[in-house]
Amino acid sequence: MIINHPLLGPRDAAEFTYLGDATLINRPDWQAEDAAGKFHEYLYLRDNPAGEHRELWFHEQGDRSWLVVTRNTLTHEITKVELARDVALAAGRDK
Amino acid sequence: MSNLSLTAQSALGGIRRDFEGVSLAEVGGHALVSVATPLGGGERLAKAIASSYGAKLPTVGYSSLSDNGRARFLGLQPDQMFLLFEHEDDEALAAVTGQLGDAGYYTDQSDSWAMLRISGPAGRTALERICMLDLHPDSFDIDAVARTTMEHLGVIILREAADSFLLMSPRSSATSFLHAIETSIINVTE
Amino acid sequence: MSESSRVAGGLVDRTKPLSFTFNAQQLTGYAGDTLASALIANGRRLVARSFKYHRPRGIFTAGSEEPNALVQLRRGAYQEPNTRATVTELFDGLEVTSQNHRGSLDFDLMAANDFIAPFLSAGFYYKTFMWPKAFWEKVYEPIIRASAGLGRLSGAPDPDSYDKGFLHCDLLIIGAGPAGLSAALAAGQAGTRVILADEDFLLGGRLNAETHEVDGKLGSHWAAETAAELAALDNVRTMPRTTVYGAYDHGIYGALERKTDHLATSGDKPRQVLWRIYAKRAVLCAGATERPIAFGNNDRPGIMLAGAVRAYANRWAAAPGKRVAVFTNNDDGWRSAVDLAARGIEIAAMVDTRDIAPLAGLPGALIAMGARVQDTSGRGGLRSFTLSGGQKISADCLAVSGGWNPNIHLTCHQRGRPVWRDDLAAFVPGADLPVGMRVAGAANGALTLGASLSEGWTAANEALDDLGVAPAGAAKPKADDEPAAISAFWHVKESSARAWLDLQNDVTVKDVKLAHQEGFRAVEHLKRYTTLGMATDQGKTANVAALAIMAECTGKLIPETGTTIFRPPFTPVPIGALAGRARGKDFRPYRLTPSHKWAADQGAVFVETGMWLRAQWFPRDGETHWRQSVDREVSQTRASVGICDVTTLGKIDIQGRDAADFLNKVYCNGFAKLPVGKVRYGLMLREDGIVMDDGTTARLGESHFVMTTTTANAVGVFRHMEFCRQCLWPGMDVHLISATEQWAQFAVAGPNSRQLLQKIVDPDHDISNEAFPFMACSEITVCGGTPARLFRISFSGELAYEIAVPTRYGESLMQALLSVGAEFDAVAYGTEALGVMRVEKGHAAGNELTGQTSARNLGMGRLVSKKKDCIGNVLSERAALNRENGLSLMGFRPVNRSDALSAGAHFIARARNAAMENDEGWMTSVAFSPSLGHSIGLGFIERGHERKGEVVRAVDLVRGKDIEVEIVSAHFVDPEGARLRV
Repeated sequence: MIINHPLLGPRDAAEFTYLGDATLINRPDWQAEDAAGKFHEYLYLRDNPAGEHRELWFHEQGDRSWLVVTRNTLTHEITKVELARDVALAAGRDK
Repeated sequence: MSNLSLTAQSALGGIRRDFEGVSLAEVGGHALVSVATPLGGGERLAKAIASSYGAKLPTVGYSSLSDNGRARFLGLQPDQMFLLFEHEDDEALAAVTGQLGDAGYYTDQSDSWAMLRISGPAGRTALERICMLDLHPDSFDIDAVARTTMEHLGVIILREAADSFLLMSPRSSATSFLHAIETSIINVTE
Repeated sequence: MSESSRVAGGLVDRTKPLSFTFNAQQLTGYAGDTLASALIANGRRLVARSFKYHRPRGIFTAGSEEPNALVQLRRGAYQEPNTRATVTELFDGLEVTSQNHRGSLDFDLMAANDFIAPFLSAGFYYKTFMWPKAFWEKVYEPIIRASAGLGRLSGAPDPDSYDKGFLHCDLLIIGAGPAGLSAALAAGQAGTRVILADEDFLLGGRLNAETHEVDGKLGSHWAAETAAELAALDNVRTMPRTTVYGAYDHGIYGALERKTDHLATSGDKPRQVLWRIYAKRAVLCAGATERPIAFGNNDRPGIMLAGAVRAYANRWAAAPGKRVAVFTNNDDGWRSAVDLAARGIEIAAMVDTRDIAPLAGLPGALIAMGARVQDTSGRGGLRSFTLSGGQKISADCLAVSGGWNPNIHLTCHQRGRPVWRDDLAAFVPGADLPVGMRVAGAANGALTLGASLSEGWTAANEALDDLGVAPAGAAKPKADDEPAAISAFWHVKESSARAWLDLQNDVTVKDVKLAHQEGFRAVEHLKRYTTLGMATDQGKTANVAALAIMAECTGKLIPETGTTIFRPPFTPVPIGALAGRARGKDFRPYRLTPSHKWAADQGAVFVETGMWLRAQWFPRDGETHWRQSVDREVSQTRASVGICDVTTLGKIDIQGRDAADFLNKVYCNGFAKLPVGKVRYGLMLREDGIVMDDGTTARLGESHFVMTTTTANAVGVFRHMEFCRQCLWPGMDVHLISATEQWAQFAVAGPNSRQLLQKIVDPDHDISNEAFPFMACSEITVCGGTPARLFRISFSGELAYEIAVPTRYGESLMQALLSVGAEFDAVAYGTEALGVMRVEKGHAAGNELTGQTSARNLGMGRLVSKKKDCIGNVLSERAALNRENGLSLMGFRPVNRSDALSAGAHFIARARNAAMENDEGWMTSVAFSPSLGHSIGLGFIERGHERKGEVVRAVDLVRGKDIEVEIVSAHFVDPEGARLRV
């Protein structure tokens, strides 16, 4: 596969490592009510779509960016690649 | 207290080999320091680099030379670049801090990488055998830089000139890296 | 034998004669011959025995689809079985032997199989060898293996080398026939980056096998001129002898280039190169493959595909017969007769299943319209055949054409589904092509020359348009469209003798009917049941006819019956090419420690830990067992001082205004308040509360830390922390960079370690116990000004330090430490002694940190802070990790001190059976402790911390051990840690 890196252009997927669902960015608040339940859901309960999937890839043998890649799990078509940091900031994550 | 003093060794013993149309040589006499941009401090760092080195802050994937041509900033990742400069002693960090002050965070990488220069008209043909990047000048021109992998090893590749590439790979596996490059050259030359 | 069947003309170079042997018989050919064409030119018809029935077989095709003519090339370790003679380029001195026969090729003893054929029909394995069960492995399988099968491997390591590589282009053109050359011209002249690959050594495809004209020139001349024109363009890379074998995601193609297969020796260069081609666009111009018609005894040598017959005559000037007949259902079959007649070869008959002849006639030939070949005769090769009306015609070559199948394989590698075209009686590519791929020419169903040239040209221009490149405006090559009408016809129903569909697997029409009768009607079932379409040719000449027959049986249409899925590779790829350079010592790179060369000079024994080679122990003269060396290294370290290269531990440089807060979040214990100049042990959890890694982190400045990780987890921890930094807390000012390679780091351990270090640390650095206590760290200089870092940390449990210098000084520092350490009798120790001392001290390592271990299991539950947000603390609270009978890391010593413990043993209460339900835990690490004089172990046992002093059994059923052990503290040596602080 080829991932069209937002900063570097198309790069072979062999340079990347895969983590999983991009919802891993949305780490719950440790002090929330039912924090344990929320963490359980965050860590273990994920959709397994046959189709479009947002997922985290790390450009380990490249610029060390974490990326959010939108990929169709049936066709491998990649429709969007974003810097995960931008996604996280947009989601309100900070410190 | 003894009178011992320690002896420095280069990663590959200063190797130089010439093949038909390709030369391969270890590059010495340089220091390498990573420069990280403090969050929100990009402008300040860019000014410091411009005033002390006369260089532009490189974008990721490109490098920029200092005005005296002796230092090169390699844009390797967002908020982090490598500064490659002519330098002999152990005080590489002090040399950078002397120029840039506290505008960035610095980590000495001089001993982390083995540096090889592959040059000559057949160099690109040899690299075809291990480098998955497109090194055609249309997509990897002079001053372009990238981190990638060759034969399972991390490599930073910089195009210094039309027919000259600087390759950096982790020092501990330098012997394997040299073997990989040499094999590639031998496989494509007579 | 002379080249009795060589005729005039052709594209062979008669100035370059070559000699070769077939089964030790000396034969000759010319440069430009394939092995098959040379064998035909020499009048050789019988070249192989079939897979199952050992039937005599000849050359059937002129290309990579060949099912029959599999031979063994070369000799000794270079021997290569199952090679298709049709794609083997002839060279001087080539040695060829036939395969799959016992006795000679002409009198194969295994041909007896043919007489028991009624017992060997499809599925015979499943039916015949059912019982007795024990017979399968001992009797049936060895017999089947010996009698079936193909060639033999040499049994020696492959002496050739292989390579891999990566290519990039705007447009990949797969196949250099008329469509491919036309596409390459259009794209090449426009200046775009083109790769033109073809499996043949001569570009031109069918143009070289035909007598058509392009732009008023003989097709083969036009092809040669065009190839030369393309070769002169810098932006076009023409790759003959290169098979594009697979289409992968996002425009990535796999290709195998045969570099030296056509040479007598490879000259120490890679024999083949496996390319990964990145193409923005691709045009598949793979042509078409002719298919036979099935009739009785249609497998005799001399019965060939019609297109192949004229290819041998036109391209290679080799006549497959003296008296040739044609059996066809289409216009193309007639061309074989016309071309052969033009070369002076006698045409015996034209047999056409259709009623109306497309040509007026052929002088001297019998024209039989609406006729069918029912049976043939001739033991070692065709002598005559019989028409369904009973008429017998003598001929030594029967050219058969059942139509042409577009080579759609690569269009299906991404699960594309082909569609059926009735007018061609063939499948053509569907709309769901791999991304960026177009199909042109015969592969797309444009089976005539003019259309092929035109489609190639158009496809290239469309691709240029996609890429935003202006076309060059050159003239499109032109040719006429030859007659190509067809009327589908698959098999001759009147034939009572066996009619072969898949020649390579000996599958007949009857086998397909049997599969239907027994319920294996889905195409994928049909394939598995009959083995149709398997092996080296993947049924290229067989599949469609078999589908048609299955469709007949089920009363369905062919498109409803469907095809099996085409998968890569298009043609076989040697395992050696897939392995590339990754063989033997070059399987993967090695990482060497800074003291590696020194250690090798000392005679150290090395161990692979991941990619690292580390010194395991340093044997000395007189030591005959590793334990002697290791015991000495441990004892001497604990008694005086030892030195170990610990560079392999991961080191991560962490800087930034928020570095302390960041560490406070990634470690479960507190780091925010670690003072500058101090080191702290850190325990890193995964979010699920399981231990990820541990190590020490030193604070070198307010915003500067250096973390160490375990050797094994260095890469993973770095990745994890980048995830935390970029995805979880992107507002933090924190920056990471690996410094593992930057610093050569040595553990200096033992009561004399300080004294030793004082001899090399420059005098302005005070490292006394008061000035530099346990867990201190500092940037210092050594040996007269060399920068260094000193950490007072201990893995051994002794007074100990780790000292780091820039890697360039690593080997020199190792020598210096041992040189100044001579007066203390300092020893170098390896990973084995390191391991013994950590077991003696009760430190967890890889054996304990298995990805199932919680902080609580390690007795470090209290380290997990509840007062801050950190990775893993919320889920550390979950019930499963906090069971009352949870496992605790404990020490174990044998009740009988002379017993040797074994790792992997399970703990069972004394009175209970050694069974799963009584399992209480397991031994993770064991060592012989020279300090205590007996075997010791670490392990996890339920409620261990409450059970000190209790005796349980350590049962190791694998090694047959059952040893009574006492549960003790994991800290065997200096449990109070007094030695660390002196």
